Amino acid sequence: MVNIEDLRNNAKKLLEDGKVKYIIGFKKAANGLRPVPVFIDKPEDAAKLIWDPLCIHNLTRFLVDEKRRKARQKEPDLRPVGLVVKGCDSRAVNVLLQEKFIDRADIHIIGVSCENTGVVDEKKLAEKLKEKTVEKIEFGDNDEFVVTTDKGKIKVASSEILADRCLECPAHVAVVYDVLIGDHTKRKLDDSYKSLDKMESLTREERWAFWKEQLEKCIRCYACRSACPMCYCDECVVDTITFAVTADTTAEEKAQKIKWIEKSPVLSENFIYHFIRAIHLAGRCIDCGECERACPLDIPLRFLNKKLEKEAKKLFGYDAGFDPEAPSLVSCFKEEDPEDFIR
Amino acid sequence: MMAEEFEPKIVAFLCKWCSSAGSDLAGVSRMEYPPNVVPITVMCSGSVSPLYILSAFNKGADGVLVSGCHPGDCHYIKGNYYARRRIALVKELLEFIGLEPERFQMSWVSAAEGLKYTQIIKNFVQSLKPLGPQTKLRRNP
Repeated sequence: MVNIEDLRNNAKKLLEDGKVKYIIGFKKAANGLRPVPVFIDKPEDAAKLIWDPLCIHNLTRFLVDEKRRKARQKEPDLRPVGLVVKGCDSRAVNVLLQEKFIDRADIHIIGVSCENTGVVDEKKLAEKLKEKTVEKIEFGDNDEFVVTTDKGKIKVASSEILADRCLECPAHVAVVYDVLIGDHTKRKLDDSYKSLDKMESLTREERWAFWKEQLEKCIRCYACRSACPMCYCDECVVDTITFAVTADTTAEEKAQKIKWIEKSPVLSENFIYHFIRAIHLAGRCIDCGECERACPLDIPLRFLNKKLEKEAKKLFGYDAGFDPEAPSLVSCFKEEDPEDFIR
Repeated sequence: MMAEEFEPKIVAFLCKWCSSAGSDLAGVSRMEYPPNVVPITVMCSGSVSPLYILSAFNKGADGVLVSGCHPGDCHYIKGNYYARRRIALVKELLEFIGLEPERFQMSWVSAAEGLKYTQIIKNFVQSLKPLGPQTKLRRNP
């Protein structure tokens, strides 16, 4: 079982010894059920740290901000940053390591175990416990959650309220860590791509109708991009950079500033944005679900990434986020890669 | 009066060293093939970004072709292998979203294969005609 005191004591010790400059973790929200990210830099604040099945954020995203912050400082604090990661988040760390975006010495990874389960889908939870007010959720013993409500404690089977992505998760425990809180569990996994079945059984025109409806909704707030730990490019291809053309602007300079995509949130442009984002995440997305969580219009963005994850596995035998030493999906090839689609 | 037959517009990204030379060979040998192609020479099939492909569809292409050297023949040794991997993913995702798979093709055409190039274009045009104009990904269809 995950013992939160272990997590707190560990964090406290790290801060007391000055081994990390601060720790990114979760704390109880001032209002609402879902915990919020917290930055802790004083040992006495370590008691604020929590870990429960509602800690759904991927805190790896903060490493991107941390790197930028450090680059701006004249005399940056070179100590590592403590980071609380679940299994999925630790795979994100692995991808960032693989891409040499961060250095292993820059992070102290506090891995946590999802105890054979995962995180809770709040919509499913609300649906399941309609009449009750949920106060707390804890990990149970066998594949279940212990939910404390205003009308007493109840046990709920994990499969009923788990987030969709957790039902298909291949890493229930951090895969890279300096210290692991909780047990090294292994969940049985029947089908990692089950959520795609329904979509793939539709006809082509039905699929198009589905995506048309979904992508037409997009207001291009770029919340998915902002929440994604992999979207760390300094310049994004979908941003049109305002570019002053003067008399001495060369043709070459102008050619470098091609406008690939219009800003207006219309279907054709939304399509390019989401498609190119999915392609850029191929072999990098670790299915942490942050894009979907951040989306204010509930676009099922996860499907696009999941589809590419499936194809990467099927066509090239590639799994993202397990081996920081391996070359990335599209920066390597095999002689025997499939080419039956080529004429 | 007979309705005018739909003539698809194809954007072809041809690598400079093989496919582009192959299409040149078709031209100088006076081989006949449909005039529906807009060829764009790129340095290598491996340099074709998925964005080029999407952009072509976005700006009104009915079909997109990416063509490079045969495996092992790449001028840059392995550019076409990278292309093969990337294009496979793009193709799968385009189909997943609901675009007709016939609209996006990849081929290997060497500098000596002028005839193969004309065949590929003929077949491509034939397969696009029954589909009609591509409106799904097009800006202001």
